[in-house]
Amino acid sequence: MDISLLFRIAAIGILVAVLYQVLVRAGREDQAMMTTLAGLIIVLTMVIKEISTLFNTVRTIFNL
Amino acid sequence: MEVIKIIGVAFIALIIVIIIKQHRPEFAIYVSIIAGAIILFLVLDKLTGIINLIQNLANKSNINSQYLGLLLKITGIAFLSEFAVSICQDAGEGAIATKVEIGSKIIIIAISIPIISRLLEVIINILPN
Repeated sequence: MDISLLFRIAAIGILVAVLYQVLVRAGREDQAMMTTLAGLIIVLTMVIKEISTLFNTVRTIFNL
Repeated sequence: MEVIKIIGVAFIALIIVIIIKQHRPEFAIYVSIIAGAIILFLVLDKLTGIINLIQNLANKSNINSQYLGLLLKITGIAFLSEFAVSICQDAGEGAIATKVEIGSKIIIIAISIPIISRLLEVIINILPN
């Protein structure tokens, strides 16, 4: 739960954006869409892991 | 000292969101969610201290701990639903935000039914009939 996670997500986002442009210029729109979706899913798994730890901590604190 | 960390995280996340929003707006939402989670984690340990203090005070003044538990539950629900509502509004989805708000309000009312019924009993006993 530290700041490096933020930078990791930013790096993946920028990488996917660049890859998208490169693939679109190369005329492969479908593969560009695939890489964007893949990047989204990777970041989604990371975000879900962090959110689940946050929700579990809050649940234990407020004994929900 | 903690405030400076919180403000630092907020500004870094802000810059990243602005950079990413032009190219890939989907990732901007992820960055704002993770920034919110990091900031909440920074203050969570202080929150446990506050809650322990409240519980000690309640035990000393022998308030019924069941009601205190309910109060804590309600604040927890409000805390989490506010986290989701603000992120949904930030992403521009006001409809989803209001649905989450309505749902959490209904849950809070459902949880506080014993308190309300107890209060009504006390009022009825006081009234001269």
